[in-house]
Amino acid sequence: MEMGGGAAPPQGQQQPPPGAAAEAAAAPRPAAERLNAAVVQQLNLESVKTRALGLDKAISRILGDFDAYARANSSPKWQDVIGQFSMVSMELFNIVEDIKKVSKAFAVYPRNVSAENAAILPVMLSSKLLPEMEAEDNTKREQLLYGITNLPIHTQIEKLKARIDMIGSACEAAEKVIADCRKAYGLASRQGPSLVPTLDKVQAAKIQEQENLLRAAVNFGEGLRMPGDQRQLPSSLPSHLVDVLSFGDNTQNFGDNSGVYSKNTPAFTSNAVNNQGTPIQAPGAQQIGRSAPSPSGVSGTGNFDNASTPPMPYANSPRSSTNMMNTPSPQQQLQQQLQQQQQQRQKMMQVPSQHQQQLHSQQQLRPSSTPGVLGQSTMSQLHDLQGQAQQKLQQLPGQHQMQYSQSLSQHFQNRQMQSMQQNMAQNQLNQGSQLRSHLSQFTGAGNNALLNAAQASPNSQMSSFTFKKSKPLTSLRAMDILMYIADKVMQNLFGLNGGHPQRNHASQMLNDQMFGMGASNPSSMVGMQQQQQSVFGNMQTNVQNLQPGMVTLPNPTQNPNFPQQRQQNQQ
Amino acid sequence: MECVVQGIIETQHVEALETLLQGLCGAPKERVRVHELCLKSGPNLGVVPSEVRLLCDLALPTPTWTVRHVGGAVRGAAAEQICVQVRQVTESKASNNVLRFFYALGYKLDHELLKVGFAFRLQRGAQITVTVTSAYKMPKLHSTDEAVLITPSIQLVEITAPAAADNYNEVVSAVTSLCEHLAPLLHLSKPGVSTGIVPTAAAAAASLMLNSGGKTL
Repeated sequence: MEMGGGAAPPQGQQQPPPGAAAEAAAAPRPAAERLNAAVVQQLNLESVKTRALGLDKAISRILGDFDAYARANSSPKWQDVIGQFSMVSMELFNIVEDIKKVSKAFAVYPRNVSAENAAILPVMLSSKLLPEMEAEDNTKREQLLYGITNLPIHTQIEKLKARIDMIGSACEAAEKVIADCRKAYGLASRQGPSLVPTLDKVQAAKIQEQENLLRAAVNFGEGLRMPGDQRQLPSSLPSHLVDVLSFGDNTQNFGDNSGVYSKNTPAFTSNAVNNQGTPIQAPGAQQIGRSAPSPSGVSGTGNFDNASTPPMPYANSPRSSTNMMNTPSPQQQLQQQLQQQQQQRQKMMQVPSQHQQQLHSQQQLRPSSTPGVLGQSTMSQLHDLQGQAQQKLQQLPGQHQMQYSQSLSQHFQNRQMQSMQQNMAQNQLNQGSQLRSHLSQFTGAGNNALLNAAQASPNSQMSSFTFKKSKPLTSLRAMDILMYIADKVMQNLFGLNGGHPQRNHASQMLNDQMFGMGASNPSSMVGMQQQQQSVFGNMQTNVQNLQPGMVTLPNPTQNPNFPQQRQQNQQ
Repeated sequence: MECVVQGIIETQHVEALETLLQGLCGAPKERVRVHELCLKSGPNLGVVPSEVRLLCDLALPTPTWTVRHVGGAVRGAAAEQICVQVRQVTESKASNNVLRFFYALGYKLDHELLKVGFAFRLQRGAQITVTVTSAYKMPKLHSTDEAVLITPSIQLVEITAPAAADNYNEVVSAVTSLCEHLAPLLHLSKPGVSTGIVPTAAAAAASLMLNSGGKTL
């Protein structure tokens, strides 16, 4: 610092150029320092002041010119104006340069002066403290120098130094204590206390082993698989599984997929009449006449409840009309069949025959309709559905209620008509859970059997029909749904399986005769109709209702083979 | 898709974990009692067997079934850097005959287990579910009443958060931050990666139980 000591009147040295460097020694300071004489000379404050004043005048002149321009509302000559500005700025630059050389150490000058900060700049440049800061400074000084202000300076200095030393030593002592304590408590390392007991190896290994066990079990099922011999349904299932898995259904998932089919297959009691003695493998445990399983037993195909199944793909149902053609069974025959069916547990013989029937009709009808497409064929086939339902009626081994009420049939027909497009399936689907089982039967066993057979050569179907026991459901074909619906409808109309041993004899007879008509023989149908009307007075309307459906069956005309085959069957 | 991490905790510290989660969550815990049946598809349904899990929630008065299929995990360099596994998951509620349906399709029961515990649902940048369960195996088929603990002293902690393909980064970071919160008590990692227990678990559990003493949840 070039400032020298010594007291000198500050006024002599204070000629701060306006807006330029401010003197470090402010006037109010009692002990103002004096600038070094050399610095003063170098600074040449007088000249700086003169130049600054000249600059100030020039700027004010320019501003006055602008004012005149503004009043006269004329535009200035910009070239002149710019020239003047450049002169002014160059002058300022020169002044600042001169000062900068000298006053770097103790003077500050504003760099960016703009309209906003021009007013505040002198205040900011001044080194004088703000009043409150100054007051604070004074109080602190008083505190510090309390008691020694009256002493000479050097004494004051010594006393202050002594105080500093004392404080210093106190700090050192405190640090030492902290370090000692840190070492004593083991806090020396930055990681903190390591008082956690580490696991011994044995324990850690045990835990590791348990962890692996648990993770493997949860994620991959290790250690949870039971050998096959233990996989038998226990006698008491937990409540949430009781409904799902009915006891005695030994066709469990463990490899045997026909379990679903084996349930609730009373509808499958196709006519033994049509049984041509072909070697048909029956799916295991198919029980016709079995007592109705728990409602959930039917639920094997519950998904169909929610499925908005395609509308009436049963147009392809092989049961349409072919059944009627194929079931000329006289009542005796039917009774025999029913008795047999009731006694046997394996009813697959009926299934294939019915499937055969369905198969045939399916053959014929399939090309004409696609799943989801409803046309006139569908309509007629809906009537076929009724016929099928009736046929089913006779197939059921007397466990269903043959309450073939007029209202039901009418209702059935009406619904068919109305909801042909989309609601048909759903309406019937909603009719009862027990009926769902049919779908599983049909779609599973029937589906594959029928599809396979359908795809095989038509003529050789009868002989080549094999019912594969474990063929699972691969796709829900339209035909299957239709068959399912048919079953459902029939179930709904004629009661549920296995709880209704009553049999309406008359209705059975009716059905027999109706089915015995054989759609290929309209004349005979007419005859039958008359017969029926005479015999079953209360059923007349039913017959009448059904007949239109029968009459419109296209199947009879399309299945030339069937009559022949049926004849063979009947023989 | 979902982000999932798993960890283990000793049974003695489960209460402390519950306290911690309660503090983080705010909502009361949900009881979890799930009978999980794992079905594997038969050969008729394709060369590669697929696995489907049926979860029956027994905590509610009426059991509800859920079908769940766990797909493959996201792979790649990015997947290896994060400590959360992101995998495809498809889940759906089902009616109570779903088991029969799958049997009809050709699925066979592979294994089953029972999980009993509790779960918390948090919203921390993503909908996160923390499930703490002990796993039971059934000596006899479907005998949930006679289930036996697989590992009596260890329970499984699973943190899952559903994610979409475009936002799984955020979900991953949310799950990771939650894992850091739980770090004093347990280590969490991708399923299948073993972690061991955390040495500070005891101390952390002690402090949690101390703080929460007298607190009614």
